[in-house]
Amino acid sequence: MDVPHVEGRPVPAVSGRAVLEVSPLSGRSGIRARGEISAVTRPSWEEALSRLARQHTGVSYLELADVAFVDVAGVTALAVTAMGLGEGRVVVEHPPPQLPRVLEMFWPHLSQIEVTP
Amino acid sequence: MTDTVTTDETFVHPALFYRTELEYTQQTVSFLREGLTAGEPMAVAVPGPNLELIRTGLGADAEGILFLDMTEAGRNPGRIIPRVLRGFADAHPEGRVRIIGEPIWAGRSALEYPACAQHEALINAAFEGRAVTILCPYDEVRLAPDVIADARLTHPTLISAGREVVSDAYDWEAVVSRYNTALPPAPDAAVFSYGSEQLPEVRRFAVAQAVRLGLAGQRLDDAELAVAELTTNSVVHGGGNGTLAVWAEAGQLVCEARDAGRLNDPLAGRRPPEHGQLGGRGLLLVHYMADLVRVHTGDEGTTVRFYLTL
Repeated sequence: MDVPHVEGRPVPAVSGRAVLEVSPLSGRSGIRARGEISAVTRPSWEEALSRLARQHTGVSYLELADVAFVDVAGVTALAVTAMGLGEGRVVVEHPPPQLPRVLEMFWPHLSQIEVTP
Repeated sequence: MTDTVTTDETFVHPALFYRTELEYTQQTVSFLREGLTAGEPMAVAVPGPNLELIRTGLGADAEGILFLDMTEAGRNPGRIIPRVLRGFADAHPEGRVRIIGEPIWAGRSALEYPACAQHEALINAAFEGRAVTILCPYDEVRLAPDVIADARLTHPTLISAGREVVSDAYDWEAVVSRYNTALPPAPDAAVFSYGSEQLPEVRRFAVAQAVRLGLAGQRLDDAELAVAELTTNSVVHGGGNGTLAVWAEAGQLVCEARDAGRLNDPLAGRRPPEHGQLGGRGLLLVHYMADLVRVHTGDEGTTVRFYLTL
């Protein structure tokens, strides 16, 4: 389908079924995600967050520049994961616009998540 | 509250019928002064000009009271319970809280009114057994007689000409079901049918249509999020598939999801979730960001429409 996309956001590689690829960051503790975070890809997103929480010490990074969309449940999974961390925080880099919007709406003062646009 | 026996756990929900600015000011200020004497946390959510009447009437006593312009905070009546009323009551869990909420004013449109009346009805379910007092002023001169008649159904007590009486018409559930009316399809809508495989595609379809109809910026991101929540609800709770329609009418973008599900919980989308709760935010988010949400649900399925001003 020929669809104008929101400026600056990547268009997912597959036009039909949603995909989410997750890989570890090199040189830093955390993960890079690519694709979209929605009902279809939620299991792999939640699994990636569990892995991140298990390996977390101090500061973990989530690189989301190649994520085109995240839904409310995807942001919720992140917020709940961050709230469950014993110490430190998660730095979310270059998230899609829905992520800060949903955080502001439901968790406006969550100290365990730092968003860098 | 002379005619009502209140205990610590009683929800008090009177309608105040007023005819003049003077009567409005006297009644609301006296209501708030009672709260001041009792040491209750208080909020006032009414249209801007009425806010000023109350502020002026209270003078220095206005300090410490939360004032909200209901035409903004409660533009979409569906978010008044979670965001305005429970937002305030839940932040003050000790003792009784006192609120003035005026969700229906003379400028409310015929499109908005059914959602307003349902909101007033659902307040009774949302606050049952809670130590909360919510006074709802109604402009008896400028509102239609039907609106005043509905207020007698949605409020257990009525204050008129300075007298408080028990409403013999009180039946909030009747108002919820009376305004649960079919939402006829728009003839010029762009339509897309979806199942779980098409969730990304239907979302992109909605964005493309919204852009075509003039939506931009954060409102466009909001529309994308809201469509994702409604279409995901169809797939998860509404029989596995649905139809999305997008169109513009009277300066507003309208997105509508239809599916075969049935909404059995009248307070769905109106309960603020616990901080760490996993689900239950989808419909709430739609209510928070939209200017109006209309719902029809029944054996034949559910239709949810949200409106965003262009």
